[in-house]
Amino acid sequence: MALKGLDIFKLSPKKNCKECGSPTCMAFSMKVAQGAVSIDACPYFSEDAKAAMSEATAPPMKTIKVGAGEQEMTLGGETVLFRHEKTFVNKTRYAVDICSCMDDATIDAKVAELKHVDYERIGERMYVEMIDVEFDPASGADRYAEVVKKVAGEGRVLILDCQDVDAAKAALEVCKETKPILNGANAQNYKEMNDLATAAGVVLGVHGADENELYDTLAALEKLGNKNLVFNACTSSVKAAFASAVQFRKAAIKDSNRTCGYPSIVNVSKLAKGDSHMQAALLSLFTVKYGSIVVAEKIGYAEALPLYGLRQNVFTDPQKPMKVEPGIYPINGGDENSICLTTVDFALTYFVVSGELERSGVPCNLIINDAGGLSVLTSWAAGKFSSSSIAKFFQEQDVEGKIKCRKLCIPGKVAVLKGELEAKMPGWEIIVAPREAVQLVKFLKDMQ
Amino acid sequence: MGKFVVIGERLSTTAPIINKAFTERDPEPVLKRAEQQLKAGATYLDVNIGPAESDGEDLMKWAVQLLQSHFDNVPLALDTANKKAIEAGISVYNRAKGKPIVNSADAAGRIEYLDLAAANDAICIALCNGEGIAKDNDERMMYCQTLLERGMEHGMEAEDIWFDPLFLVVKGMQDKQMQILECIKMFSDMGLNSTGGLSNNSNGMPKAIRPIMDSALVAMAMMQGLTSAIVNPNDLRLMETIKSCDVFKGNTLYADSYLEI
Amino acid sequence: MPFTAKSGKFSASINTLTMGTGEKAIVLGGENVFPFYTFDAPIANAPKVGIEITDGGLEAEPDCVKKYYEGCTTVADMAKKAATFEGVDFLSLHLEGGDPNGENKPTEDLIKIVKEVADAVDLPIVISGCKNVEKDAEIFAKASEVLDGRNAVMLAAKEENYKNVGASAGLAYKQVVGAESADDINLAKQLNVLLTQLGVDAKSIVMNVGTAAAGYGYEYVVSTMDRIKAAALQQGDATLQMPIITPVATETWGIKESVATEEDMPEWGDQEARGIDMEVETAAADLASGSNAVILKHPESVATIAKMIKALI
Repeated sequence: MALKGLDIFKLSPKKNCKECGSPTCMAFSMKVAQGAVSIDACPYFSEDAKAAMSEATAPPMKTIKVGAGEQEMTLGGETVLFRHEKTFVNKTRYAVDICSCMDDATIDAKVAELKHVDYERIGERMYVEMIDVEFDPASGADRYAEVVKKVAGEGRVLILDCQDVDAAKAALEVCKETKPILNGANAQNYKEMNDLATAAGVVLGVHGADENELYDTLAALEKLGNKNLVFNACTSSVKAAFASAVQFRKAAIKDSNRTCGYPSIVNVSKLAKGDSHMQAALLSLFTVKYGSIVVAEKIGYAEALPLYGLRQNVFTDPQKPMKVEPGIYPINGGDENSICLTTVDFALTYFVVSGELERSGVPCNLIINDAGGLSVLTSWAAGKFSSSSIAKFFQEQDVEGKIKCRKLCIPGKVAVLKGELEAKMPGWEIIVAPREAVQLVKFLKDMQ
Repeated sequence: MGKFVVIGERLSTTAPIINKAFTERDPEPVLKRAEQQLKAGATYLDVNIGPAESDGEDLMKWAVQLLQSHFDNVPLALDTANKKAIEAGISVYNRAKGKPIVNSADAAGRIEYLDLAAANDAICIALCNGEGIAKDNDERMMYCQTLLERGMEHGMEAEDIWFDPLFLVVKGMQDKQMQILECIKMFSDMGLNSTGGLSNNSNGMPKAIRPIMDSALVAMAMMQGLTSAIVNPNDLRLMETIKSCDVFKGNTLYADSYLEI
Repeated sequence: MPFTAKSGKFSASINTLTMGTGEKAIVLGGENVFPFYTFDAPIANAPKVGIEITDGGLEAEPDCVKKYYEGCTTVADMAKKAATFEGVDFLSLHLEGGDPNGENKPTEDLIKIVKEVADAVDLPIVISGCKNVEKDAEIFAKASEVLDGRNAVMLAAKEENYKNVGASAGLAYKQVVGAESADDINLAKQLNVLLTQLGVDAKSIVMNVGTAAAGYGYEYVVSTMDRIKAAALQQGDATLQMPIITPVATETWGIKESVATEEDMPEWGDQEARGIDMEVETAAADLASGSNAVILKHPESVATIAKMIKALI
């Protein structure tokens, strides 16, 4: 984050000695803020002040890497509190929890269930990226290491949810190459856990009974030189979890409190045990407000479909349109004899239009053009959705070879293209569809 | 960023009708002008009671209470060379709609106005001027630093010191105009708030010309980062320009009726 | 060293708005902080949850919702039943059958249902229109009349019909006027200005700024609400300080994640759970972004969201 001249001025010696070449300390501060001159040009700027400055110019929130190889992913690194201010950069990751108290069959079933959710949506793989392995003191460290070893090869990043030093050590032995998160430091054990995490080269997760304890432990670990950290939102209540997740993010980004600038883990499995719909609500809540990792008891398709869609939306770059893959999409069992409709590859257009077509129940082929990911009118105005681009796209895709039907509906907003298309695509009957997608159901039904 | 703060300048002893009303404690003309300015979009009203050496304290109290009781605790800028009168005004001032503004300190004889503002948790307009008009922006920034340090020493937040570059009249000082605009940019780069008597630029020009010059200057100054001005809010062209610039700067959300609100 | 957070309390606040009358009346808004930021300042009025039924009655409901209304034969029966579900603060009667491009039910028929429903329950009532601007103007005028004294919400006036709806609902019968702008923040502001210029009390306006189902362009919803709350609270923009009401059910129960049966999509599993979670997750995101009230369909969704709100306030 860039420092304002005022912030630098406050740290400056305020002597107006002119030795730096500037008439006043204020003018000098301004030049430093603009990057026009180095702070070292001032012989009187104290080391403390320089340290405070370099601290202040560091990114407000650390970017933390977890996982190894193909599973490597980044957390944190956000620079704004609201997506419209710039963009969110590292999406929320989801985990399902298992426990060393479970028997192998239960664990196998849970792993199979979480791996069941694995699909693609607008070019993004949607799956449960992490497994949270909770330590059960009753069954001991060996069993814990056994369970960890068992799931370490499942292609998911592990969160070792374990505040017992011996068990954590045993677990790290069997999985440290996969770069799990050692989520086990607290106010009592942080020194030992710090040693374990740094020796294994893994990220350390920090717990606290409340915000103060959490903050103190984070600060103590930073003092030991460890800044490869994540923190756990408080688990005493939903309210406390929300407060800690939001307040730490706010303190980091708005008030430059670096000790708060770490990714968060929110364990909604603990916050709403056994209540799957409540967990679904909380998964959504903490995706919108500042969970870097959210742990749930179960993520099946019911939870995942809205959740991953939401995440894709929230973490999309406001500057870049979301695109779907151009091509032919048969809907309601559409085949070579079914009517064709065409529109652009802007993801929102695709979803709204395909949704309405599905609702109509009429078998059809939705042909998505390559229109630069822009909406109908925008792409038309930009020349990316014109009669020639549509005709060319139909040739490239060999639509005529794949589909026998020669009826093509075009969006009502580009009705002007009808004549040109008829000229450029002989044999096709061009039909002007309604202007709004919601009218498609009636339109298609009426046509039948 | 908040909206540009318009400080209405029309309650001033320099206007004969207001001078008379102040002297006679006649509410009507004062309230009338205040209402006109607020309706036109003023946020703050400047209350300039002049030197007011004899009865300043009583007059300022009267004016503050009169205006705040009639206009829902409208925030005010207390403008006089009589420091005791400013203190008296603040003693009866209601902060519900904003801190009082002390108008004004400078880097020479009136630097204690900052101490006064600090002691009363008020905003202070700080004129970047010493004795006579500053010769260049190095000198202005020197004053700026002096004023900022003084305020912070006394515990003020930097945001409560609104720096005034001292707008200069075009007729006679045309060559200084860009300097003033650059000075505003420096305030803005420093993260400081700014204000000033912007219409000073068009002093002595034909009446029909003044709104045009003032509007052009306010647009340029807002581009440079000016956050407030002491102006005549009943100058429609000027207010339309300010509201439009607020839209461009993202200080307020656009709506088709933006000029009416 | 304890953790000290700077307060994010604002000097401006969201308007308070009362829906309904008597013991069951509810209050929206009043907060001077971002949604659920109780650590910055207390939030006196928790967001509220409404349940939606339609003029189509039981037949129009998804299969998984029908079982909750067992034994109901009329819309009024359903309203009575809905009022007993856990977490329900208000009732929304969605008159979708009025749409000239759909069933095109006559206004008189719809108003008859409005009256029956109003007589059956003492909950605050929202009348949701059919989306056709001319028909809605007619429906809201008549509904405002028969609901005189109930302090009901007419959802909603749009750019094309705000004059009619504002005059009948707002001026003639002092009902709460909804102002609908589909993810268009400038229009949201403009409609509020126009309605107040018409003479409608700013404190009797509630905004429907639009929503989408999670995954369906939801980024616009988040940013629209974020920006409206920022303008209202940070910039103190009085023309955007109206509370926000969000009809969630109408968005989520029509999309394929909720509509596809288990036979259609075997790998997706239980259809009811999908419908509920889509509704619940969308509603949670709406509330986190700034909705002061949400309208849901499935009783399980209502109970869940009510519980989440309670846990957060």
